[in-house]
Amino acid sequence: MEWGYFVGAGIAMISCGFSAIGEGLLCAHAIDGMSRNPEMYGKLRTTMILGCALVETTGIYCLLVAILCLFVH
Amino acid sequence: MEVFDGFFDTSTGLRPEVISSLIVMGIIIILAFIVAIQAHFQDPLKKPKGLLFLAEVGVKFFDGLVLDMMGPRFKGFGGYIMAVAIYLFIAFIFGLTGLPSPVTNLAVPLSLALCTFIMIHATSAHYTKLKYFKRYIEPIPIFLPVNLISMWAPLLSMTLRLFGNAISGFCLMTLVYNGLRNVSGMIFSFLETSGPVAWNELFIAPIVTPILHLYFDLFSGLIQTTIFIFLTMINIGLEAPQDDDIQEMSTEGR
Repeated sequence: MEWGYFVGAGIAMISCGFSAIGEGLLCAHAIDGMSRNPEMYGKLRTTMILGCALVETTGIYCLLVAILCLFVH
Repeated sequence: MEVFDGFFDTSTGLRPEVISSLIVMGIIIILAFIVAIQAHFQDPLKKPKGLLFLAEVGVKFFDGLVLDMMGPRFKGFGGYIMAVAIYLFIAFIFGLTGLPSPVTNLAVPLSLALCTFIMIHATSAHYTKLKYFKRYIEPIPIFLPVNLISMWAPLLSMTLRLFGNAISGFCLMTLVYNGLRNVSGMIFSFLETSGPVAWNELFIAPIVTPILHLYFDLFSGLIQTTIFIFLTMINIGLEAPQDDDIQEMSTEGR
């Protein structure tokens, strides 16, 4: 049953894509805001990077699950 | 990484990451002593320079950050935030030396997040006294099991965020190093090597990996440090009561 762990890791990594979609939406809206209101550029960029790192967390959880599947058994 | 296997005496039972963590703490303590001695002998009427100047800029920045995000209630809180920030950043970029980064051991981010977790509940208990236990039965007493489980969410998410970022960078860098070693061994296979070290496998990796180190160690470390201290400040600041006198106090303070 070794292959089960690898299949599980692969399925876990699929959900990283949703995290990427979230990050793309976040960046798109941040750029919208920047183009409408260029003097807010600095503040928006800082908030965007913070939000990106927060959104990235879900992807990191998936990666952790995949690593656990691969190496811890 | 195999080069440093003999560097750490593992017979003491300490993991190598914990020993790196102790080294990082030693670096910070030495820096702090240097700054303290410089500050002691500094003429207050002259401009500070060197490390003392950096320390003054840092203290001012973190005090301003705490005042902005947590309000004037937590005036003396900048010291803890600054210590955590410096420790985390140095711990992240400590992987650049080739020794294992302290954050890649689960114990280190867990202890940092545990500090934040305990501080959240201590602040809550300090400001609400006995009404602190009311937070477990809100909005109605039937939510008790749900609240008992969800109280661990900040601890889990902060631990895994730090640990996951560090370990993902570490895994990717190990993969890249091993792949490039094989590629280099194939290209330079005409260099016959004998002895313990295969020199023909070491040529390509130093050219390609610095840019990856720049992202996975420096940039990721900086971002994760920022995230961690911001979440710490927000979570602790939320526990204090939101009164109207905050505006008054902030104008008084300035």
